[in-house]
Amino acid sequence: MKSFRALFKSEFILSVRDMNLLFFGIGFSLLFTVVLGLIMGNKPAFDGAAYSFMEQSFGGIISIGIAATGLMGLPIVLADYRHRKILKRYQVTPVSPMKLLVVQLVVNLIYALASLVLVYGVCALCFGVRIRGSVWLFAGAYLLVLVSIYSIGMMIASIAPNIKTANLLCSLFYFPMLLLSGATLPYEIMPGFMQKAMDFLPLTQGIKLLKAASLGLPADNMLVPVIVMLALTVVCVVLSLKFFRWE
Amino acid sequence: MSMSTALVVQNLTKSYGPVKAVDGLSFKVEKGEIFGLLGHNGAGKSTSIECILGVKRYDAGSVTVLGLSPAENRRQLFEKVGVQFQHNNYPEKITVSELCEVTGSLYRQPADWKELLKRFGLLGMHKRMVTELSGGERQRLSVILALIPNPELVFLDELTTGLDSKARRDVWKYLESLKGNGLTILLTSHYMDEVQTLCDRICILRKGQVVFMGTLTEAIQNSPCSNLEEAYLWYSGEEETTDEVL
Repeated sequence: MKSFRALFKSEFILSVRDMNLLFFGIGFSLLFTVVLGLIMGNKPAFDGAAYSFMEQSFGGIISIGIAATGLMGLPIVLADYRHRKILKRYQVTPVSPMKLLVVQLVVNLIYALASLVLVYGVCALCFGVRIRGSVWLFAGAYLLVLVSIYSIGMMIASIAPNIKTANLLCSLFYFPMLLLSGATLPYEIMPGFMQKAMDFLPLTQGIKLLKAASLGLPADNMLVPVIVMLALTVVCVVLSLKFFRWE
Repeated sequence: MSMSTALVVQNLTKSYGPVKAVDGLSFKVEKGEIFGLLGHNGAGKSTSIECILGVKRYDAGSVTVLGLSPAENRRQLFEKVGVQFQHNNYPEKITVSELCEVTGSLYRQPADWKELLKRFGLLGMHKRMVTELSGGERQRLSVILALIPNPELVFLDELTTGLDSKARRDVWKYLESLKGNGLTILLTSHYMDEVQTLCDRICILRKGQVVFMGTLTEAIQNSPCSNLEEAYLWYSGEEETTDEVL
């Protein structure tokens, strides 16, 4: 526990000095919220909708923080530590690889949660957004999206043979999910064939869950996305532990 | 392995493709001994150390460190073993004291890192970024980090490269005092004055093979040379090239 606290403290301070997570994990989603809010104001999601466009978007926007920390922050730091042989130095100490992974996970988690709180604050105070469904359901959906996206990030960190591949894989997962899962560009305005393609991205399923929970929509057909995301998480965690390399 | 033996390496072999980097290396280090692994660059010193520590996989042979297998008992073993690699990287933007504190937190009974910083003349630097340190300061820091575990056995790969004479002497003096308290040291070095001061026994490698093993006196006696520097060059096969350069 002593080493976990010390590692966490040090890694968190380093992340603050580094600023990347601050910009991409929190800053970007906050900026996106403000801009989108200024454009859309309190407009309804569609003619006759019971909820506003911003309320509909909320479930997507908060996943930006999850994706930025889980698919960029987490794997890139770990790949960089391996590349620069910092993990090799840890290999000749009593620390367990699991502990190092979890420390990075928690650091990134804090940024994702800060992003959630701040985005919700701005949405609620400035644009009248409310969670219309069950808060518990919403929290559950958020947690599910979080663990599945982070597990993808951990897997990238473990399997990428070098820093270049890690960067490439991160971009390959992050940008499509940022643009094509409904996190930024609204899923609802996409043509049917696009929606079908977007459905293959795990984050699209997660955002559907988040939206259903935040808008209080009936959660029919939600069992499949839940099972898919849980299965994805298990596969990625197993792969990331199996393929973890110090060097 | 008897209770007094710190390290046993038997028939260690490691190839990179067709090149044998380490070829049938065997040696023992007794507890409380300072053992020098010598040889010119590329002779296989660092590869040997990395294989011994379990950081690199080896093709054949066996390694026992403090009665444990580095690969199988990693966490238990490195509670008692300190390591300084030849090249060290640290997270960017970490300060000296942060790095020492985190390193100390990994061990059950770490040494007082402030005391070590003081010993090595770095106490005034503890708030500096590690990246801002000079080469010599970083080198001293890497030795400090290897001593933070309060180890029974420490591996020091080129421990004083880049240090000035005064700093080298300070490091030697401190290591000798630790030896007096029972610390076992395996070191590599290119400086024969350092080897002469510190080492009880040495092993000279040439192209991954042992060309000499024994005490310093034996090293000189078994060669046609009159001092360690010359004997070392004679064993490691650098004498001729040195002459050519001159």
